Amino acid sequence: MTAYIIRRLWQIVPTMAGVILLIFLLFNVVGGDPAYLLAGKISNAEQIANIRKQLGIDEPYWYQLLLFVKQVVTFDFGQSWSTNEAVSSIFATRLPNSLLIGVPLLILETIIAIAIALVVAYKRGSLTDRSVMVSCTVAQSISILVYIIVLQYVLAYKLGWFPVQGWGNGFFENLFKYAALPIIIALAVSLAPNIRLYRTFLLDEVNQDYVRTARAKGLSENRVMLVHVLRNAAIPIITNLMIQLPGLLVGLFLIERFFSVPGIGREVILAVERSDFPVIKAITVYVALATMLANLLADLLYKAVDPRVELK
Amino acid sequence: MSKPLLSVRDLRVKFRIDRKNLFEALKGISFDVMPNETVALVGESGSGKSVAALAILGLLPKENAIIDPASVIEFGGRDLLKITPAEKRALRGSEISMIFQEPMSSLNPVFTVGYQIGEVLREHKGMTGTAAEQRAVELLREVGIPEPELRIRYYPHQMSGGQQQRVMIAMAIACEPKLLIADEPTTALDVTIQKQILDLIAELQKKHGMSVLFITHDLAVVGDIADRVVVMRHGEIREQGETRAVFANPADSYTQALLACRPVVDSRPKRLPVIDDFMAGRGHVMRSETRTRGVSESDPVVLEVKNLCKDFYAREGLFGKKTFHAVKNVSFKLRKGKTLGLVGESGSGKTTVGLTLMRLHEATSGEAWFDGKNILALSEREFLPYKKRIQIIFQNPYASLNPRMTVGQIIMEPLIVHGEGGDAQSRAKLVFELLAKVGLPEMSFYKYPHEFSGGQRQRIAIARCLTMRPDILICDESVSALDVSVQAQVLNLLQDLQDEFGLSYIFISHDLAVVKYMSDEVMVMNQGEVVEHADSDTLYASPKDPYTKKLLDSIPRGIPGAAAHA
Amino acid sequence: MSAAHPVMNPAADIGIERSPGLWSLAWRRLMRDRVAVASLIVVVAFLLLAVASMFGWVAKNWNSEIAVNYAPPTLFKSLYAAATEATKGEGEKGPEVEGLAVQRQPIVNDRDPLRSILDELRAQLGQGAEGVEEIKIVDPLADVIAELKKKLGRVDGAIEDVGEDKKAPHLAFGADKWGRSVWDKVVKGTETSLLVGFAAAILATVIGTLLGAVAGYFGGKTDDFLNWFYSIFNSIPYILLVLAIAAVLQKKGVLTVVLILGLTGWTSIFRVVRAEYMKHKARDYVRAANAIGATHMRRMFTHIFPNISHVVLVQLSLYVVIFIKSEVILSYLGFGVGVDTVSWGSMLNEAQNELILGYWWQLAAATLFMAVLVTAFSLFTDALRDALDPKLK
Repeated sequence: MTAYIIRRLWQIVPTMAGVILLIFLLFNVVGGDPAYLLAGKISNAEQIANIRKQLGIDEPYWYQLLLFVKQVVTFDFGQSWSTNEAVSSIFATRLPNSLLIGVPLLILETIIAIAIALVVAYKRGSLTDRSVMVSCTVAQSISILVYIIVLQYVLAYKLGWFPVQGWGNGFFENLFKYAALPIIIALAVSLAPNIRLYRTFLLDEVNQDYVRTARAKGLSENRVMLVHVLRNAAIPIITNLMIQLPGLLVGLFLIERFFSVPGIGREVILAVERSDFPVIKAITVYVALATMLANLLADLLYKAVDPRVELK
Repeated sequence: MSKPLLSVRDLRVKFRIDRKNLFEALKGISFDVMPNETVALVGESGSGKSVAALAILGLLPKENAIIDPASVIEFGGRDLLKITPAEKRALRGSEISMIFQEPMSSLNPVFTVGYQIGEVLREHKGMTGTAAEQRAVELLREVGIPEPELRIRYYPHQMSGGQQQRVMIAMAIACEPKLLIADEPTTALDVTIQKQILDLIAELQKKHGMSVLFITHDLAVVGDIADRVVVMRHGEIREQGETRAVFANPADSYTQALLACRPVVDSRPKRLPVIDDFMAGRGHVMRSETRTRGVSESDPVVLEVKNLCKDFYAREGLFGKKTFHAVKNVSFKLRKGKTLGLVGESGSGKTTVGLTLMRLHEATSGEAWFDGKNILALSEREFLPYKKRIQIIFQNPYASLNPRMTVGQIIMEPLIVHGEGGDAQSRAKLVFELLAKVGLPEMSFYKYPHEFSGGQRQRIAIARCLTMRPDILICDESVSALDVSVQAQVLNLLQDLQDEFGLSYIFISHDLAVVKYMSDEVMVMNQGEVVEHADSDTLYASPKDPYTKKLLDSIPRGIPGAAAHA
Repeated sequence: MSAAHPVMNPAADIGIERSPGLWSLAWRRLMRDRVAVASLIVVVAFLLLAVASMFGWVAKNWNSEIAVNYAPPTLFKSLYAAATEATKGEGEKGPEVEGLAVQRQPIVNDRDPLRSILDELRAQLGQGAEGVEEIKIVDPLADVIAELKKKLGRVDGAIEDVGEDKKAPHLAFGADKWGRSVWDKVVKGTETSLLVGFAAAILATVIGTLLGAVAGYFGGKTDDFLNWFYSIFNSIPYILLVLAIAAVLQKKGVLTVVLILGLTGWTSIFRVVRAEYMKHKARDYVRAANAIGATHMRRMFTHIFPNISHVVLVQLSLYVVIFIKSEVILSYLGFGVGVDTVSWGSMLNEAQNELILGYWWQLAAATLFMAVLVTAFSLFTDALRDALDPKLK
């Protein structure tokens, strides 16, 4: 077990190196001279000169790469080009807001999606099953943009049930007042694909031999579904959840933008619009690291829920 | 005579294949199971025997199975097809229980075996957790699992196949059922384990006075265990009666064929009779002509294997790796026109030997001398011409043919790969000759593998090997996946080809009777090592090694009542 | 294959029909599925529309102002009338209601940041409310727009007096704020979406399939390296990677979007194809091919590829859907196709502001087209997966 964790952590090193190289290639080699990009966006010549120095633009590539590696290792990406805010402070202040929407959303969507998936898997092949599945397909086909535009217009703007946008300071104020509509919209978007996925997981199990054994034992259909089938389907469901975890860090960028939620997602879009490279680079690198750690955690959890798995 | 415990009358089951088509799986079958009696339901694949079992328990898929309303399944005075689902559930697991073919997949992988056995007791006997656990320990002890207190905490995958099946049996007898349905319970198990499980079922049947409905494709097994036998084919019952009577004097031609076409250890006919022979009434003559086997030092050697070893590695710990010796120091000589049988249970390394000689695995060490060259030491390019001369036929005829190619393309491919056989026209001509040789119609040329049955596909695979005119043919469990009647046909074909072309065979199988029938010499393998190597008649008549003895003792003899008296 | 087996038909001599292969059997299964046929028809209709638009047979002049600003749609006239009736509650009828409908905005939440704009609008409309017949007033920004147009030189000078009369007062699908036909725009958007969707899907599929085949088939060091490459892309959340590349590639356009989506999206098919190759290379039919001496290339492409091609096809189909949706979001954010072409995403961007003013038709058109296409494509993909399912063989 310990050996496994150590080896997996060790395997992160080459991948991380690859991520750093990819980001470096993108921003320092393909991306070209940031001074040129920023010419229209930042008029201050002195500031641009500063940025050039910070990046070591006039230095050879290997030196720039070294500089980048140093930034990653010391967790110091300097300051945003456009707002001069320290990148670390951007993380510290934006992340809690993203999580405030993301965590309740993940919990709600998982519970609701599993419940509905169980119902349709139980009634597989019936009219209920087919109509839920068709609705899911249609719901998935509508762009997330339409959900946001229409629901924001109707629920907040027309009916006034929620604030149209904004963000406060109190935890509960944010959760119940400002985060409520974003969570509802995100739920509307994410339920359909999750229901379909979880239904597939459940149906994969329904046809297994052990389910036949459970029925041959005289168990009720409820017990077969809720104990035998669900416990096995929980394995891929949990894996799927773990894969979604790193997404929490990036936030729901479209929703954050529409509702002016000061989260990481909105920060990413702003940074892309402003060609604010340090912010994008920092977020990308650290989210990649978090993803790898989450994958490791997923494998460990996988071992915990599936007795057959041996970590080698 | 007492009243039957289970009485099946005119059971008809249809499956809906698509909107228009129905498939009639059972065409109105009737049979009885008396209290305290073992009845065997025997048939080849597609006979509908498993459908009958599932219908009794009410486990047929609701979506597409249609049971004829006139059918009756009476159990203990009640018609199982008429009672409510709740009543049926109360019967399942308590009055009637069932065990299945694949114990591994039939147990829920994420619960301990103790939990799964306890579940039946909690459901039907209303036992509490601790009481159920204690009973589970007793049950495990009863089915012969050592250290049951410890084993109830085990998950299914931590046990061997035989133990898993014992757990299934413990679960099935937990509520002292009146009827146990066993659906091919030993088919997935090695022959020595099969014997243990059969003995266990027979013993429990006696002890608890229950009835057993035993479903199998293997008539030899039936002889050992059943009081009465019901022979099925294509959804119909061909014959039923006392096992002794049916074995001694089968009335139906199909039953006669089934009994005759399986090779047995004590005699070796020149050709195995097949079903068509019996249907045409000429089956009985075929048994009389016999064949002698064996090798002498004067027979020329085509392949000599010296100290063949094959290791596999698995990662262990932080830097370590674990070595698994799949094949240890195997040496043998294969003689021209002769068959070397290779027997062993799963994990014995017999298949690895075959794959290593084909260089489908690279050998760890050892030599294989063929035509003056050590073929294991050749580079891939140098080995290419030798690939033509050593060919292999795999176990699963459904997996070994590329489903996207026509039969013509499949058989012609070796010629194309090696740039032989002249132009397309003459290649095609050769394919037609080969199709005729393996007994397939000409029109197979443009058909795809999925249009053929298992036996026919194995013929296609054989024809593909023959295009290269090989010297050596490795048959890796080549007939194991086939029904006995088809198996006989393929064995006959292999024998004919050997007689005609003087091929040398390495015949790998877990089935001792088949190996005995086919081989001149036999090597017995256990855990990667050859434990005994002798002429087949010598080996079967007087085995020296204890493992060989155990193996031979486990062969079902097909003699009624053998298990009961064991 | 066909190269290896030249057209030669010895079977014809003995009068045998060639059997249907697995592909034609799958096609027959597909054609028996009514949902599949219906969705295929819809998808083909969209494709034809896109091709027609590409060759300029339809929606050629999408960029010209053929109608008055925000000309209302007539196609849904009755529906629209009923809708306004419902929101109105009393009195007004007929074509002059548009401006007034805006005036009747409901009570707005006091936190509404748009409130100031709305107040301004109300004030403007209040002034002009008497002269409703002057359609210009409908658009509070009309003056600004006209000025802008002049500056841009998009329209000749006569726009205010003469041109205005020639412009259509209403169109089937309505018009946007420049008076461009929403129908033409949505058709042009179909072309963009399908072009991006298919081109990016093919790019991603080719990259992912080739790398996946090599990694899965050869295993060992090759696999380690490609898997490392894959894990780099896979550890960066998709949308972040897309945006990062968008930030670097400053040039906007269809080609850029295709490159962004294709170069980031290949990972999922890589994983699937790699797993399939690993599974198939150990199958007996591939071993049998090895046993008769078939080369690596022959085993990889003649033997294994046809047997996994259904997986690739389904994945390709999934990609089209994903990339169409991604393109809409990218274009909405302004990182997608440039201003010289239309995308449903840029339409949604415009529609967002129009909705507050009560002009819902651009939003409705873009949403409807996209939903119908994507639904049909998704249903077709599901049916395709079922029809190709090897378990059904």
